[in-house]
Amino acid sequence: MKKTDFDIRISAENVCASIGADEKSDLHEEIMEELREMLPAAYEKIRPTALLEFGSLEGYSVEKEGREIKEALFCLCTVGKEMVEWSTRLFAEGNCLGGMLVDAMSDDYLFQMDDVLQESAVAMCRGKGFGIAGRAEAPQDVPMSIQKRAYEVTGAAGEGIGITSGFMYDPVKTVCNIYLLDDDTERFRPEHDCSTCTNYSCRRRNLPTVNVRVVTKEKAVVIRARKSEPLLRSLQENGLFLPAVCGGRGTCGKCGVRFLNRAPEPSVEDRRFFEEEKLAEGWRLACCVYPKQSCTVELFESESGNFVVLAGEEDQPEKRADGEYGIAVDIGTTTLALQLVDLKTKETVDVFTDINRQRAYGADVISRIEASNSGKKEELKRSIREDILRGTAALTENGKIRVRRMVIAANTTMVHLLMGYSCETLGVFPFTPVNIRTIRTSYREMFGNMVSGQPSLQGGADMADFEIIVCPGISTYVGGDIVSGLSVLSFDRKDKPCVLIDLGTNGEMAVGCGERILSASTAAGPAFEGGNIVCGTGSIPGAICKVETDGEQVKVFTIGNAPARGICGTGVIDTVCELKKNGIIDETGLMEEPYFEDGFLLSEENGGIRFYQKDVREIQLAKSAVRAGLETLISKYGVTYEEIDRIYIAGGFGYQMDIHKAVDIGLLPAECEEKIEAVGNTSLRGAVQCLTEEDALERMESMAEKADEVPLSSDKEFQEYYMEYMYF
Amino acid sequence: MGIIEEMSEYLQKGRAKNVKALVQQALDENMDPKVILNDGLLSGMMIIGEKFKNNEVFVPEVLVAARAMNAGLAILEPKLVEIGNEPVGKAVIGTVQGDLHDIGKNLVVMMLKGAGFEIVDLGVDVDPASYIDKAEEVGADIICMSALLTTTMPKMQDCIDQLKERGLRDKYIVMVGGAPVNESFCEQIGADYYTPDAATCAEVAKKVVTERKAG
Repeated sequence: MKKTDFDIRISAENVCASIGADEKSDLHEEIMEELREMLPAAYEKIRPTALLEFGSLEGYSVEKEGREIKEALFCLCTVGKEMVEWSTRLFAEGNCLGGMLVDAMSDDYLFQMDDVLQESAVAMCRGKGFGIAGRAEAPQDVPMSIQKRAYEVTGAAGEGIGITSGFMYDPVKTVCNIYLLDDDTERFRPEHDCSTCTNYSCRRRNLPTVNVRVVTKEKAVVIRARKSEPLLRSLQENGLFLPAVCGGRGTCGKCGVRFLNRAPEPSVEDRRFFEEEKLAEGWRLACCVYPKQSCTVELFESESGNFVVLAGEEDQPEKRADGEYGIAVDIGTTTLALQLVDLKTKETVDVFTDINRQRAYGADVISRIEASNSGKKEELKRSIREDILRGTAALTENGKIRVRRMVIAANTTMVHLLMGYSCETLGVFPFTPVNIRTIRTSYREMFGNMVSGQPSLQGGADMADFEIIVCPGISTYVGGDIVSGLSVLSFDRKDKPCVLIDLGTNGEMAVGCGERILSASTAAGPAFEGGNIVCGTGSIPGAICKVETDGEQVKVFTIGNAPARGICGTGVIDTVCELKKNGIIDETGLMEEPYFEDGFLLSEENGGIRFYQKDVREIQLAKSAVRAGLETLISKYGVTYEEIDRIYIAGGFGYQMDIHKAVDIGLLPAECEEKIEAVGNTSLRGAVQCLTEEDALERMESMAEKADEVPLSSDKEFQEYYMEYMYF
Repeated sequence: MGIIEEMSEYLQKGRAKNVKALVQQALDENMDPKVILNDGLLSGMMIIGEKFKNNEVFVPEVLVAARAMNAGLAILEPKLVEIGNEPVGKAVIGTVQGDLHDIGKNLVVMMLKGAGFEIVDLGVDVDPASYIDKAEEVGADIICMSALLTTTMPKMQDCIDQLKERGLRDKYIVMVGGAPVNESFCEQIGADYYTPDAATCAEVAKKVVTERKAG
């Protein structure tokens, strides 16, 4: 079918905006005037022609929702050659503004032709008994060579249209749309899909999103939420994190949000967690609700990036286009940190920190292993790789900066998930890893098949290949993150034994110097991160992070000075310390009445934030696990506290913790208080060192190989210490 | 404010009529056409280019400034020819074979002119040999190639290979650009410079040609 009658009015506003002169521009009026003068001539020159014909994709097929589609309705449309000639002439005359405006007018006309043609395409398909499964365009959805097929099927040559060796049409203002035929005659999806389109700078780019105004206690922001995805995912992408302990399956009920207007119909999951009254108030689970229209949502438990991943990196030098850079990566269970390092000057040029989005699959290592073992292996792999790519794109300004090397340090489970290894053996005795040696791979190998078809990762696609090194680990429970820390702290070069403790869920630690290093991990649990504590929370605004008491008077400090909402790790330690000081808990950890029953009131806010007997017990378990681990290791190593030179505390929590109070509750030994030093993210620092120092990797490998692991859970000495240090 | 400074100011604001009038006035006052060109027109264009790179102004501002520059140049050019003024350098430019997209290439032409280059624009769908033949013919310093799609950018490699075969590779500075092109592709095909936008292209071109000519 050939169509030449189009009643289209060019939108001057759109044309102006498309060259960057929208209403906000000082030149808007001037350019609008110029454009109005040109419009009559444009209508004279535009010769719209559209050709629509059915045909096969000739040996090629496109997959749509699991089906192979091989038949299509090809549509070629053009504004004719006069517009192109006009534009070229104006440029040649030095009138670049005119040339750009003619070009933009052609585009506007083509876009409007597209709207009309979609209707024609639907009518034609309906007439033939087909639906439209979707629309394909070259080169993003199909290879450019398909344009040759479309050219032949539609008989475009007869209309004076040409085709180049690169399969582009002449005149250049000619486009090809391929409507994919579907047996389902009820479904018509002829629209252009901006989400797969590679024209990133297009001012008409229109992803199917809605504006969601998000109100939290601290602020109100507007985010673009995709209609096609649960709200939880869009919130996460915008750095607004809700607890999603179940990983967005709608089973934990923790990600509740309140729609202040236009609440979508409640889902089955919503009905399970919310009473009728709550549903009427607009409560929904973010993981099960799809925003269909603009709306306002209130968040109550959001966690934003308040993690101290890096400390003291300011006055960053500029990135040079001709420089050579390396990227250090620390994959934590909770957070991800990337650091861009100038390989010549060894300076840190930029940093990127984010939440590890695998958190949507569970908060700790064990739940990730479980998720991986229950068929989520590929999803988890994709999640972390996407996170790293996003960071890489941000640091390299979409691949404009030359990267030579990437070094990744992570615990063993994180490495398994990153590499797509099976986690089956990690969670069961004898806890053997698939691979804990150094992994040498490349950007192409790790990310090559992800960068295509990922519009948000533009630029990653064409980055030159570079090597990627994953740091070696010691065992399933003492991974490359610890080895990296040992390396940067130069354990192998020390004469006197030192200790490294990572105060996280896994409580990894190592003691040693020179050739001999002993390591272990103790199941400290999540109490230091506010987990398993009744009113516990992560490091979010409003988290009680510091507590002081004076007799019956309690004074609490919160993150961001926000109204108290819970207690985070440092607040937990402070609380226990103060309760002990005031004799509210005795040396066995027993709380005195009336606190035993009702808990100790820290703040009246949010219905009362209390610290309960159960919470004291949790801390007792966690601190004795760490302390007993340390005592056992030191004893096995055959040294005394006096002989220990330094005790390094790694990790964000350790960085914020009051060391004196940690000693006071018995988490760390009083004998060594002045030797204890919080050193922050040593895993990342070790990765940086590996980028800049030639022998660093060799040293890591040597340490990983020589270090022995003490299996604590079956150790008799550990059991004794564990009971001993349970008390205060 | 002197007439030259005023000219530069008007050019940056895109006031073509004022620029034109001032160029005429300067010529009437027997000012050196080279000074009018370099200090009145090109310097203003360089400032706009710099501002564009720093996101202080956007495409429309550059376009109107270029139009003002061209208006001034139209009057000035005969005089420049008369006194035998040498351009900063000569560049041969075009969109590669199989590719018909020319907007980006046209903007580069605009900025190169603004940097004082003499340009030979080969247009679109330019086969690799034509770049070289034309460069040889006019005695160019630079060959600039543009491509919009990954399917056509390998043509850049063909041109560089042919330069090598003809023993001319070191004679020309080869610059590449376009949406799918980046630094690593430039390095991979053995081109000399990749620049991400027209303003940077002009800046780099001027710098390297000046350096090369200096020795």
